[in-house]
Amino acid sequence: MRRVVLWIALVVTALLLQSVVFAKFQLGGAKPELIALLTIVVASLEGPAAGALAGFFGGIAEDFLLNQPKGITALTLTLVGYAVGMISQYTTTSTPLIPVVLVAGGTAVAVIFSQLVGFLLGQTGVTFFYVVRVALLTAAYNALLTPIVYPLVRRLMEGSKSQRVFRL
Amino acid sequence: MAVTRRANRSTRLLVVTLVVASLVIITVDYRQGNSGIFESMGRATASIVSPMQAAVSRVFRPIGSFFSGLGHIGSLESENRRLRDEVERLKAESGSFQDVERQREVLLATLNTKLRLNLTKTVGANVIAASISNFEWTITLDRGEHDGVRALQPVVTADGLVGHVLSVYPTTCTVQLIIDPRSAVGGRLAATGETGLVVGQRNKDLKMELVPPDAEVPPGEQVVTSGYQGGLYPPGLPIGAVSHVYTDPASLTKVIQVRPAVDFASLEFVLIVTGASPGVPYVAPSASPSPQPAPSASGSATP
Repeated sequence: MRRVVLWIALVVTALLLQSVVFAKFQLGGAKPELIALLTIVVASLEGPAAGALAGFFGGIAEDFLLNQPKGITALTLTLVGYAVGMISQYTTTSTPLIPVVLVAGGTAVAVIFSQLVGFLLGQTGVTFFYVVRVALLTAAYNALLTPIVYPLVRRLMEGSKSQRVFRL
Repeated sequence: MAVTRRANRSTRLLVVTLVVASLVIITVDYRQGNSGIFESMGRATASIVSPMQAAVSRVFRPIGSFFSGLGHIGSLESENRRLRDEVERLKAESGSFQDVERQREVLLATLNTKLRLNLTKTVGANVIAASISNFEWTITLDRGEHDGVRALQPVVTADGLVGHVLSVYPTTCTVQLIIDPRSAVGGRLAATGETGLVVGQRNKDLKMELVPPDAEVPPGEQVVTSGYQGGLYPPGLPIGAVSHVYTDPASLTKVIQVRPAVDFASLEFVLIVTGASPGVPYVAPSASPSPQPAPSASGSATP
């Protein structure tokens, strides 16, 4: 229950920051994808099941605020959360660069995949070159934010773990 | 080992379930368009999030002043430090006065625009948020159904056309900007009267298409809304100025690039045109001796 409340709070905060604060602080004309960033961080900390769940519910919340068919972001982030969780499970090195690389790669794939699904549904308007450019810029922005977001989410996740009491 | 395999299987089952759920949502929403259950859930979510955006926007605006004011803390260590802090404080105060003065000028210019363009019924609104997506060019305003705002109403500033209302919630609304690639506005060259369709090009100049190939288009010419009958926009709202003219090698048609009159990066205060407005024929600031073509209240030809 505490995990659910924490995830709702994180998603709402991310949506507010992305639409109000980061709309003013863009990197080469691109905003970060904070829900994708949170999904990837949760997936790398908690594994594929938690990553997929976080991606689905974070994605559907973002979908509800977009002027496109609902479900595209949910589908994208479910798959990205699962994939990143699986990759993290099989990553043996513990260098602090790993989360940054996962966030950058996962974000770029998420942006391109969601635009591809949108294109298949007739959501045209931007060129493929523009999609790739935004994907790279968003990936770079998310990677820059990872050193702040990753330890913060890790601490919050650890703090929200249910305390089990064993009586002898 | 068996436990791990079982966990992997249940994870895979969970992912398949979530993917199928996403595909069902996409299909149902795509088929139902703007009247389905997911659209209603989207409206409900936006109704909850928008007031929070307004609150965050109100808090976020003075944060810059707050950080500049932090320099005052602990300013008693030395005379030099005290004087430096004093300078910082004066700078911050001067900045806030300049901000108030700038806001006053924006409001006055907007009021003048309302009178000049004969916009009879309008509602002033503050911009509280932008789209969360990098592929949508929309803004959220702090006015909604309770203020008489309805979908498809035009939105303008002192400089010109901003866009139209896309979705309305009880206390807020979303506006699609004319720079959105999915936006198309009937435009007219102010001097020659030639009409065309002005399409959004993201953060680049707008593109005016469907212009007759023999049309004379000098750079710098003003482009205004054509205001055709049944259209969204009243005639004469400034869209921008011609920046470049070329022939599309694929279709061999004339394409006009239009630099928007509005600076979309610094939108703060806008007017929502809530009632039918007759509009006025646009007169360029540097009035030329040749008479301007005057559209009727019902607008000029459809592009």
